[in-house]
Amino acid sequence: MKRRTFCTLATAGSASLALGARPARAATTVSLWHIFGYSTEPGLINIARFNASRSDLQIDGKSIPFGQLSQQLVKGVATGDVPDLITIDNPTVASFASQGVLEEVGARVAASRILAKDRFFPGSWATTISQGKQFAVPGEVNTLLFYVNQDLLRAGGLDPAKPPQTWAELTAVAAKLADPAKGKYGVGVSAIQTEEGTFQWLPFLQQSGASLKTLTSPDAAAALQLWVDWVQKGYASHDILVKRQSEMTDAWLAGNTAMSLSGPWELPRILRDVKFAWTVMPMPVREGRNIHATALGGYVWAIPKGARNIDAAFQVIEYMLAPEQAARSFAGGRLPAVQDVQPPTDLPRAEVYAAFEGQLQYARPRGPSPEWPRISEALQRAIQQAVTGQQSAQQALATASATIAPLLQRYPIEGM
Amino acid sequence: MSRDRFLDSPTIWALLIGAAALFLLLLVGYPIAYNLVMSVQEVTLGNLPSFSRPWVGLENYRQLLADPLFLLVAKNTLIFTIANVAVQFVLGLGLALYFQLSFPASSFLRGLVLVGWMLPPLVIGAVWKWLLGSDSGFVNYALQGLGLISGKIYWLSDPSLSLLAVTIANIWFGAPFNMILLAAGLAGIPADIYEAAALDGAGPVRRFVWITLPLLRPTIYALLSLSTVYTMRAFDLIYTMTHGGPLDSSNIFPVWSYRMSFELFDFGGGAAIATAMFALVLVVALAYVRSVNAERPM
Amino acid sequence: MRRALVPLRPWLLTLGGVAIAAVYLFPVYWMVISSLKANPELFAAVPTLYPHAPTLAAFRWIFERENVGLYLQNSAIISFSVTALTLVLATGAAYALARTRTFWTAAMVVAIMAVQVLPPPLLVTPMFVIFRQIGLVNTQFAVILATTTKVLPFAIIMLRTSFAQIPVELEEAARVDGCPRFIAFFRITLPLARTGYIVVSSLVFLLAYGEFVYPLSLMNRKELQPGPVGLYSFVGADFADWSDALAFATVFVAPVIVLYMFLQRRIVSGLTAGALK
Repeated sequence: MKRRTFCTLATAGSASLALGARPARAATTVSLWHIFGYSTEPGLINIARFNASRSDLQIDGKSIPFGQLSQQLVKGVATGDVPDLITIDNPTVASFASQGVLEEVGARVAASRILAKDRFFPGSWATTISQGKQFAVPGEVNTLLFYVNQDLLRAGGLDPAKPPQTWAELTAVAAKLADPAKGKYGVGVSAIQTEEGTFQWLPFLQQSGASLKTLTSPDAAAALQLWVDWVQKGYASHDILVKRQSEMTDAWLAGNTAMSLSGPWELPRILRDVKFAWTVMPMPVREGRNIHATALGGYVWAIPKGARNIDAAFQVIEYMLAPEQAARSFAGGRLPAVQDVQPPTDLPRAEVYAAFEGQLQYARPRGPSPEWPRISEALQRAIQQAVTGQQSAQQALATASATIAPLLQRYPIEGM
Repeated sequence: MSRDRFLDSPTIWALLIGAAALFLLLLVGYPIAYNLVMSVQEVTLGNLPSFSRPWVGLENYRQLLADPLFLLVAKNTLIFTIANVAVQFVLGLGLALYFQLSFPASSFLRGLVLVGWMLPPLVIGAVWKWLLGSDSGFVNYALQGLGLISGKIYWLSDPSLSLLAVTIANIWFGAPFNMILLAAGLAGIPADIYEAAALDGAGPVRRFVWITLPLLRPTIYALLSLSTVYTMRAFDLIYTMTHGGPLDSSNIFPVWSYRMSFELFDFGGGAAIATAMFALVLVVALAYVRSVNAERPM
Repeated sequence: MRRALVPLRPWLLTLGGVAIAAVYLFPVYWMVISSLKANPELFAAVPTLYPHAPTLAAFRWIFERENVGLYLQNSAIISFSVTALTLVLATGAAYALARTRTFWTAAMVVAIMAVQVLPPPLLVTPMFVIFRQIGLVNTQFAVILATTTKVLPFAIIMLRTSFAQIPVELEEAARVDGCPRFIAFFRITLPLARTGYIVVSSLVFLLAYGEFVYPLSLMNRKELQPGPVGLYSFVGADFADWSDALAFATVFVAPVIVLYMFLQRRIVSGLTAGALK
């Protein structure tokens, strides 16, 4: 059954992990700090395969909980104990690079055949460049789609074959299916005060026709007001303010939300646990604007300054992005950053992976800007102010704009 | 010096204290000094590895005080600390007194209450986050079932309630600590004192006020001081439940310090908050030492 | 000492005790039943008080996937070592602080009390520097030392309070009889402080058992890690598989509960012995 796919991947992983966990004889060891915590992560399988296939080079991987990554990297930098290779969240490249924490890899990448620029999705490539220099290599990416509970749609008298195409239609569907007194909601997004909130709302801003430079425009206000209305009218739960994307998906899996916005990382566990008919649909556009924009997430491979085995680390990066390794991403709920790899057709619900792949052409990076943490924080605050009703959408965005405008002046972001 | 004389001399005092003092000095004193130094420098990821960073004097502290969040976080910390210490103490005392009574399985049940302490904060935070979830949380479900509320309470997502929510969870977490320390203190009071008082005609309330409380005083002072310090450093639970939000409504100093250092990479600011916390707590520690010095030997 | 109130039927009190424990342990109960539920049921709109379709899948999965026994073993090693080291270091300091009263001892008490306010994430970086200088990174010994610093102040303060409540006259009497202070301490004072030791060692052990920041920051090798770090294998970057995580947490907590049940009798007698004159 579905559990078995889950399991066989993992047992293959753990078997080879057992094989490859101990670095062999006098091999060079590349220390890798990664975020591959859960057993189905394709990254773990790739690490094991690498160790099994090479005798001169071994990866010594350390799994770091995502929430601790920043703290551990800081500690590493502070004490000079940095790994040779690290996976970092793509919007953080510019801020780390600008503080001199990352090695410049532009020359090595240019000389590499596997890491040819045209293999990668342009948005993903852009996140690795800061101030004209390249500091990282894209690893795996993700983007957003609405997961749709078709049973709930049908029960509400709607045709699941005709998903909402515009914001107005989406809101109408959500209104029809919401019953907050019973804990049932029509739509789910994450408005949490962390990078995840920015990740989810930014596409709406972009689809409204506004940008970070025009936060005070009526378009931007409309993008935020959309979320405010959803919560205030009960189409979306009040708890979106404190829930991560995966927690919103938890509610969707339990049958409490009809349409929930999230990414491909949910697929392994959805396939294992879902008990109703479901599909995915792209983010609806704003009526009259027709702009397709969606989010670009994922991690990149970076080499910290002070790493001892830079060449070896680079070989690991090349290995990870070779087509054979990249193709493993899909089964683990990830999308490769390279365009020349297609999802295997024998995967369950292969069309969903294809749908995610298809969205990547519209996926826009966050930044890159060395000031992204502060920009993101201002946006998060605005979202929370408006959704809690403490300020109107316009006021909240005006406050955010006051913080963001000088940051954009100092480090202009192309296309934002 | 003969062995006996040596064992009685001040040297042995110095050695005994010295071992622990040295240990703490090295492993804790150095980090405190490290933080203190960072708080008067301009620290970025770039200059983090070296110790010679630009000196900015009290600039980090000045920026802290000028930060619009400062008053809110300070207020939250004050409310959070007072509520926790007070309620945990009363609850702990009540539980300790109750389980002190003689009935079957009393000590077993008392020990069971400690189970909450064994769980990692990640789990406690997650469980409470679910229990207090506005939609599928059990607390709302129970309150609605009992007819106590009509709508949902947005425990975690309403800025005016989030501090209450994390306070409740932290009280749950901390009360057993109070209980067990008070139980130990109660156990140290000999029964014959009570019997003598009872013979003199003192009722249970008078016995409690005039015998139990005074004899418990050293334990109470230690407990209240420790409780204050531990509450002020409460970080894991709040970070897991609300991340300090929404909109910093449940943000307290330790959470703010962490976010400043590791999310905004403003290490000077984070260190300044930590040093300020240390200074605040010195007040509590000084009060404790005064109470210790006022102890009259039994 | 136990005080029997005016005759209230004891079993009524037991019932009350059970009710209190039940209410208090509700979150723990929630954790355990959640580990038996399939993921979607965890977040059902109407929370279920017992698993409607209980499944041991999560437990099977964690035993298959993770070497749970190794995590528990590491946790045990670290926790017991921390407890032992703490008691050894705290005893001398607490006794000295209880019996002498100088400016320096007062200063030390102030310092010990205040030092506890700093949360481990803030201390971990400089601590890492120290351990690297003495070549202890990546060892459980470093974690034991670091965790001890977290609990030592508490132990010193609590034991100091215990010792302070034991009248000096008892030791003086022994010394008059020719017994040196050191011996008097072991034969008279220490046994009388038994309650304090029981409380301190239990709490210190529990605190060390749940420690997470130091093991993660000071050790790189997975095979040395204790349970709380292992818990994070089930909390991925983008999502958490909660029934697995909770199953792991349940398994993690169970041995301590069992240990407690076995030791419970001795703990009881320790707490009731009190100060026998």
